[in-house]
Amino acid sequence: MVGERKISWFGVINTLILALVAVATLYPILYITAISLSDTVSVVQGKVFLFPKGLNFEAYGEVLKNDTIPRAYLNSVFYTALGTFVNLLFTAVAAYPLSQKGFFGRKFFMTAIVLTMFLNPGIIPTYVVVQQLGLTDSVWALVLPNAIWTMELIILKSFYENMSTQIREAALIDGASEYRILFNIVIPLSKPALASIGLFYFMGHWNSFFLPLIYLNDADKYPLQVVLRDMLIYSAENDAGLVDRSALAPQSIKNATIVLSMIPVLLIYPFAQKYFAKGVMLGSEKG
Amino acid sequence: MHKKSSRSRLGTTWNHIKRDRQLLLLFLPCILFYVVFRYGPLYGLIIAFKDYSVFSGVLGSEWVGFEHFITFFTNHDFWMLFRNTLLLGLYTLIFGFPFPILLALLLNEVRNKWVKKSVQTFSYFPAFLSVVIISSMIIDFLSPNHGILNQMLAAFGFEKKYFLVDPGWFRPIYVISEIWANTGYESIIYLAAIAGISPTLYEAAKVDGASRFHMIRHITLPGLFPTMLIMFILKTGSMIRVGYEKVLLLYNPMTYDVADVFSTYVYRKGLLESNYSYAAAVGLFEALVAMVMLLSANAVSKRLGGNGLW
Repeated sequence: MVGERKISWFGVINTLILALVAVATLYPILYITAISLSDTVSVVQGKVFLFPKGLNFEAYGEVLKNDTIPRAYLNSVFYTALGTFVNLLFTAVAAYPLSQKGFFGRKFFMTAIVLTMFLNPGIIPTYVVVQQLGLTDSVWALVLPNAIWTMELIILKSFYENMSTQIREAALIDGASEYRILFNIVIPLSKPALASIGLFYFMGHWNSFFLPLIYLNDADKYPLQVVLRDMLIYSAENDAGLVDRSALAPQSIKNATIVLSMIPVLLIYPFAQKYFAKGVMLGSEKG
Repeated sequence: MHKKSSRSRLGTTWNHIKRDRQLLLLFLPCILFYVVFRYGPLYGLIIAFKDYSVFSGVLGSEWVGFEHFITFFTNHDFWMLFRNTLLLGLYTLIFGFPFPILLALLLNEVRNKWVKKSVQTFSYFPAFLSVVIISSMIIDFLSPNHGILNQMLAAFGFEKKYFLVDPGWFRPIYVISEIWANTGYESIIYLAAIAGISPTLYEAAKVDGASRFHMIRHITLPGLFPTMLIMFILKTGSMIRVGYEKVLLLYNPMTYDVADVFSTYVYRKGLLESNYSYAAAVGLFEALVAMVMLLSANAVSKRLGGNGLW
């Protein structure tokens, strides 16, 4: 069409607005990266805007020398790996029976599960349950109480429902057990769906700070987000003028930690984007 | 006769269970999970009507009836929390709602694939960041000593502002950062809805000589309406569940009066001051209000002729 080849005012302005949106989302991230790479004097004097001033890697050196942050990093990696694995296993195993039309009590179970989305008793009763089970101060307090996210379970169940029932019937006739069908046929065939919900679980664990904050007492067990939060509160008080601790500039160290904490996210981001959008869509449809 | 049929029905049930025994065994972890961690806390809610102590347990603690509720409702904290929760939720809803729609409309009008793709890629990114990181960025930007905003204020000859200890600034900061973090992510849903609108409508409009603005107004927006309605209900329903994690990270004693919401109050009273029963009562009240809001939003949507959530 002729009209579309021409550069229209609308197109120009639209592109400009969108460029502004992109800059507005990216700028804070570039800014903290610049701070983490700048020298302390420039940071304190507020000379850093976009590019690092007095480029150096001192802050990263400090972070790695200090043993709190590397340990917290390893804790986070461990919690995220274990948590995501447990989530996927529980969800996959739970979704399979629910996806079978004739499954005993299917309607009852589904109603009971969906109902929990509306009945949220709040943090205190959940905390009491976790405490009474003796899970406090262990990884299991972070993993077990959220082993299944209802929305993710429903998404996976719908995915299984759309898979061909003929495969299962053929396998049953051949004498395969349900366990074999699930682990050798259904799960390998549902990799895209598992990747999509696995991503949400992964992000949930990696970014979680409230649950570790309330369930872990031992500072050695803190994940990265809790350590970051401690740095944050310290520097916030400092900045607000509530605390007078002059010499230190934890800004660059804090931002170096943030940049390090974004590495796993950046690594999965290219894959994540695709599945993420799909997951959001499925979630909204079933909402 | 009657007895016989009920016995045979019991027999079928038993056969049914036997037939599904493998599936049921697979399903057992799920049952245990929901019973212990989703229904268990509902049972644990009775501590809101007791004076719970860790040593006597849920059953052993003494009943006090509605005492904690009465204490809460007659406390002046109650109105403060109610106002803060409602206002933060309402502002986020009202100001945050249009942005994802606008972004989706603008993205949809871009002809250049590369521009569209990269703007989308960037705009999702904040959805992958934790609240701690987002709060940290907010604090960096607003810092009176070296924050970029105060640098700019200073450059134009204004005085430095202590944004985070100023009660007047808490709500705008909260709402603006919510918009920054969520716009890209939420626009995904609207973009998909736009993709679902029949292209023949646009072709017909083009033949009739409609401009882009006409098409947006008369085709795209009406086409988006059902999605907008659903999103609006979902957001109204969860309005009272304000993002307490961010409040927790950003507030301080100077801004408690405008920032404290039900959830942060529950955390402070219950977990920091070990006042479990009182906090559970507050939490129960919050949960009830949230449920009522979701149910009424859904009812209103059905009345309007749209689809409800169920």
